[in-house]
Amino acid sequence: MAQRRLMMGTALAAPLLARAAVAQAPAPAAPAMAPGFYRFKLGQFTVTTIYDGFRIMPVQGLVRNAPLEEVQAVLAESFLGPTDYRNIYAVTIVDTGRDLVVFDTGNGPQAPGATLGRLLATMPAAGLDPARVSTVVISHFHGDHINGLITAEGGAAFPNAEVVVPTREWAWWTEAGNETRSPAGQRPNFANTARRFAPYAGKIRQLSDGAEAVPGIRMHAAEGHSPGHTIWHIADGAAELVYLADITHRPELIARRPDYETLFDFDGAAGAATRRRVLDRMAADRVRVTGFHFPFPATGFILREAQGFRFVPADWG
Amino acid sequence: MTIARRIALAAPAVIIAAQVMPALAQAPAAAPAGQAPGFYRFKVGGWTITTVHDGFFRRPLEGFVRNAPIAEVQGILAENFMATDTLAVPFTITFAQKDATLVVFDAGNGVTPAAATNGKMIGNMAAAGIDPARVSHVIQSHFHGDHINGLLNAANAAAFPNAEIIVPAAEWAWWTEASNESRSPEGQRPQFANVPRRFAPYQGKIRQVAAGVEVLPGITSIAAYGHTPGHTLYRIADGNEQMIFVADITNRPEFMMRRPEWQIVFDFDGDMAAASRRRVLDMLATDRIRVTGYHFPFPANGYVARHVSGGVQGFMFVPAEWSSAV
Repeated sequence: MAQRRLMMGTALAAPLLARAAVAQAPAPAAPAMAPGFYRFKLGQFTVTTIYDGFRIMPVQGLVRNAPLEEVQAVLAESFLGPTDYRNIYAVTIVDTGRDLVVFDTGNGPQAPGATLGRLLATMPAAGLDPARVSTVVISHFHGDHINGLITAEGGAAFPNAEVVVPTREWAWWTEAGNETRSPAGQRPNFANTARRFAPYAGKIRQLSDGAEAVPGIRMHAAEGHSPGHTIWHIADGAAELVYLADITHRPELIARRPDYETLFDFDGAAGAATRRRVLDRMAADRVRVTGFHFPFPATGFILREAQGFRFVPADWG
Repeated sequence: MTIARRIALAAPAVIIAAQVMPALAQAPAAAPAGQAPGFYRFKVGGWTITTVHDGFFRRPLEGFVRNAPIAEVQGILAENFMATDTLAVPFTITFAQKDATLVVFDAGNGVTPAAATNGKMIGNMAAAGIDPARVSHVIQSHFHGDHINGLLNAANAAAFPNAEIIVPAAEWAWWTEASNESRSPEGQRPQFANVPRRFAPYQGKIRQVAAGVEVLPGITSIAAYGHTPGHTLYRIADGNEQMIFVADITNRPEFMMRRPEWQIVFDFDGDMAAASRRRVLDMLATDRIRVTGYHFPFPANGYVARHVSGGVQGFMFVPAEWSSAV
């Protein structure tokens, strides 16, 4: 056995060879981090995910229908801390050859030094010019998805793009009479929607369930998280991808406990039912997915497990 | 049936005529095919850790695991959404920098032909701003070719010209004693010629270290023999923070953590490797220590959790979260 073989090797207690000190300045630290983009092929399409950054928020209060200790235990299984919840944002961009499509726009303009709102700054590193984006697809109108429609100056961040929105989402947040029928935490969306879409007047196309935004990219209603929340099926021939938007918040928590309802949900019960149905389908079909709040690079697969589902990151390549 | 149809909701179909907008006559920019550079950074106390991708090598799955039926291996791979005909073995090198100390753990595949899928470390180091001339120490886990070939540059000179080379004494002893060749598994015998060649430019700068000693301030060797006679892990610590470079304690963790008893074609002593693996993984899961691994999915850092699958008590690799904030 190896132990014996090892013993037979020359037992070295030789004095350590002294080495000449290499007098050197510390290695330079820059660049601090690789640019936050990741690219993969989907048939002839090219998919790029872009890290828009993160925001730390309390774990306490995040899940509305489970005890804090239980939530913390689920987080701990994924080596996530018990106090600070890191809300992460990743934007999916698909180049079909015909169209350059951005799915949701991230957090948009921020104060200097912010840890989020990085989409526009990161796109050039990935060779993507916002001015060449032909289509912006919005899954739903929560601020972290639409705030990036505008620049710091208030103009269109994607000046040459058509903006495609779910009809039911548009209908809800553009009808002032709905405000009192919305959860208190969601009411700022009414003013924010008007403000963020303003530079795109005349360039907004509403889409109904099952319709195509552009060839190869089709909308599917997945409502609950917001009144008109949608997911998007992207296909080139046999190659398929589903952009899951906010079907889960962080999958380490919400895919594994699909019945959890978060403070971001418009209708938590409907959101949970939709989530179970969609994740079940993703697991059955073993289809590749991207998600807005998935750990970067935010692409992988959904696997069934005991109490729900697990997100399995795709191999980096 | 298409997924599109299957995921279609039974939501009330509110048919509102879509506002037709004038087509924007603009061809999208062709996205460049390039991937983001393969490096990733995080902190362990005062250490700045950088993992650098060295590419991958694809080989047939057949024959890779020596003591399990291939169908069983394929089953575990499929659960992880991996290919079941071939196995892509990735390589990721761990760097640790603190003050004037810049350590590289293992040297990568080195210079490879232009079309090779491995040997990407040199380019990715440059992208990460790491100059090989500034590396102060190369610390070797073991002497398999994918770990030592990168000691040489294209001119067969020292790729890390100013570095001291730190090697496990047990590993050095085995591969530098010619009479061990006939006592080594056949597939491992080429190491005897490869070792002197790769270490040649570092004459006088090679330091052998025992297991369980501090090889540099904050860096301690941990014996994990079996995969090779002197296979060694390294703990990197500063203050209350620590991580462990676990080298080849597993090949790809997606299957070797699930089934720690499996033995692979590269193991010198498979039984001993499996015993070391179970002992180390058990310790990592208990202590919840962050790790980097040489054949882990990039960026090759995360944690080890206990996990039962198929009735077998094994482990699971949990990648650490990617963050733009180092």
